[in-house]
Amino acid sequence: MSQLIVQTQQLTHRFSGGQPVLQDVNLEVPEGSIYGFLGPNGAGKTTTLRLILGLLATQQGSVSILGRDLKEQRVAVLRQVGSLIEQPSLYAHLTAKENLEVYRGVYGVDKIRVTEVLHLVGLAATGSKKAKQFSLGMKQRLSIALALLHQPKLLILDEPTNGLDPNGIIETRELVQRLNREAGVTIIVSSHILAEVEKMATHMGIIHGGRLLFQGTLPQLQALKQKQAFVQLQTSNNEAALGVLKGFAPERQNGHLLVPFTSQEDTAAINRLLVNQGIDVYQLNARTSDLEQLFLDLTSQSK
Amino acid sequence: MSLATSYRAELLKTKRTSSFWLSLLGAAFIPAIFLLAYLLKPDGAARSMQAAPWNMHFFMGWKAMAGFLLPMFVVLLCALVPQIEYRNNTWKQVYASPQSYGQIYFSKLLTIHTMLLFFFVAYNLFMLLTGVTAALVHKQFNFLDKGFEVGKLLALNVKIYISTMGIAAIQYWLSLRFKNFIAPVGIGLAMLIGATVANAFDWEYIYELPFAHPNLTLEWVNKSTTYWLQPHEWNALGYFFVFTIIGFLDVRYRKEKG
Repeated sequence: MSQLIVQTQQLTHRFSGGQPVLQDVNLEVPEGSIYGFLGPNGAGKTTTLRLILGLLATQQGSVSILGRDLKEQRVAVLRQVGSLIEQPSLYAHLTAKENLEVYRGVYGVDKIRVTEVLHLVGLAATGSKKAKQFSLGMKQRLSIALALLHQPKLLILDEPTNGLDPNGIIETRELVQRLNREAGVTIIVSSHILAEVEKMATHMGIIHGGRLLFQGTLPQLQALKQKQAFVQLQTSNNEAALGVLKGFAPERQNGHLLVPFTSQEDTAAINRLLVNQGIDVYQLNARTSDLEQLFLDLTSQSK
Repeated sequence: MSLATSYRAELLKTKRTSSFWLSLLGAAFIPAIFLLAYLLKPDGAARSMQAAPWNMHFFMGWKAMAGFLLPMFVVLLCALVPQIEYRNNTWKQVYASPQSYGQIYFSKLLTIHTMLLFFFVAYNLFMLLTGVTAALVHKQFNFLDKGFEVGKLLALNVKIYISTMGIAAIQYWLSLRFKNFIAPVGIGLAMLIGATVANAFDWEYIYELPFAHPNLTLEWVNKSTTYWLQPHEWNALGYFFVFTIIGFLDVRYRKEKG
């Protein structure tokens, strides 16, 4: 197994003594991965990421980044991390270049790097235009440029496509993939949009109600998907069909029959069997649960 | 990574902000009014300043400032610098950058005091310009014939600067505490009014009130010839150290940053 860039252990967090917003979260982000951190709004994504960056003090559990404890070596850890948390963090009265210049000294990077990252995110031609005059997409890109200024080993992007138009979403995705592929940056991308994360992530963590429900590679997630897939049937005689399909472990649900999906061949065999027994098949569709369905299943199990 | 790099970043952030313009316009306000007074009513003013025109000119200028404008300027300046982060939602980026809490806190403190010094320098230059202009326009003013006591002027400035340090430390801490701009400014204004009233009633513990310190310095300079630090100025320094440390500890141990 490759080295873990981020590892949290039993991270638990409460806001002013209330119910825990995070419970025993053991995040494991392998080096070189694009880790899709998925969950609905209010699931605990931002809280987790803020704890990882030290913006919230850890109450219980620990955070280790690049093998270093965040509490012990905060500054050394942050030197290797670039971040974009929630809304863009920019000085509205400064230009793109000036915004980067503010942090250039702090990160101790050469002047040339400012030009490089501006080119990378396509903002090199903004000149004297102030950040307040930028579109949301431009602001988001400038924030990413800021996060990349010091060539971090780990990039944390919290909902980076929030509020972007489809074009902006595609551009951000391509940028994330390019950075990961070409510069080997490990990237954590949080989102509440499943399809978006699925398109770029190599690893996935699904959080809901402050608990990590799934964590693993994309193929592992897809295997889980497979496991949760069903064939949905409606026939002229569901009662008789239940008996005929006994070997396939059918279940009745809302006037339908559900049979666990195993393969396309088995689906064809089910159909054949029913027709041969004189049962008309009105509807047969494989509910190969998409990520959306899987997510709903996972989250409803956790309730 | 040093305090100097963080300080440089902080100075860059103030570019084109209201704190720069506030310092400049705040410094120009009293000299502009004096200039108007000198140009429109030269006789009375020139006569009263015959003996030591520059000393009188600068002293009267500071006297006009110390009671209200100077403390209020410090209150606004201390609020405006941290507001750059609050307004732009940038605290989180600051705290997620590789700067120690000390660097973050003290670089902003240094920035505030840089602006304060800039204000002092600009104010003195404007006052100088006012005197020279008045003398060029009206012959009654003898600014150009009389010497300039640099040492005395410098000592006066240093004393006034020290007298604002308690206010600056309290207001900086408050401005870091409150996201809302109005809160620290409102509290500062209330404390200033309180100090003014206490001063008017000759309250025996007036020396303990940071917002009364600039005024007390001017009162002292008026009746004394020594430029050594007075008890209330030591108090101002004491407040400065105590509240600077309180502010730092508050930032350092705050559970939620940015």
